Amino acid sequence: MQMVQDSCIFKSALSGVLGFGLGGLFGMFFSSFEMTPYNPAVYEQPMKQQLKATAKDMFQRSSSMAKNFGIVGALFSGTECIIEGYRAKNDLYNGAAAGCITGAILAAKSGPQNVLIGCAGFAAFSTAIDYYMRRE
Amino acid sequence: MSFYPFGGGSSQQQAAVNAQNVAMAEHELEMITDTFYRIVDSCYKKCIPPKYIDAELNKGESVCIDRCVAKYFEVNTKVGEALQKKGQQA
Repeated sequence: MQMVQDSCIFKSALSGVLGFGLGGLFGMFFSSFEMTPYNPAVYEQPMKQQLKATAKDMFQRSSSMAKNFGIVGALFSGTECIIEGYRAKNDLYNGAAAGCITGAILAAKSGPQNVLIGCAGFAAFSTAIDYYMRRE
Repeated sequence: MSFYPFGGGSSQQQAAVNAQNVAMAEHELEMITDTFYRIVDSCYKKCIPPKYIDAELNKGESVCIDRCVAKYFEVNTKVGEALQKKGQQA
């Protein structure tokens, strides 16, 4: 049981599920600011139509954010676990390398310069959070 | 005058052989215990940095301990073989 919990696949899947849930909550929160295809005509319609449009927007927003967060979480956690398993050490470099790889994969469609920026940004973010969590 | 010559003699022999076996087993147990403690000490010093943020072993540490124990045994075997070869040569 302990071995299953320590495995990289389990950790990656767990992070994916947690990211999915968190992304769903964030999406629902962000959808409360405004509806994404900005359409003031919606507010003229009867109440039931407004509720339906709102619900549809909430569902779309939260499912897209949930998917993104889930993928990011699974990717980051999986790569960090693999790197740590390879190095057999537990320090900040694992999170930095995993952050760089995840940022690079997420920015892969936007061109090589964005890949570098994504790598550096995500690595810095992940290292900062790790450093904060590890302070004694 | 015994009607059981083999019984009496062999039980004495058994007692002597058993004592020798018992001594060997004790010695082997001592050696195994000593090896165990050496492995634990050495791998603990090498793999576990003195930062106690979490009580459980994380992935890096448990992988390190697996590798440390495997290497220790392999070194043990190789040194034993080399020593045996030297003993045969001399």
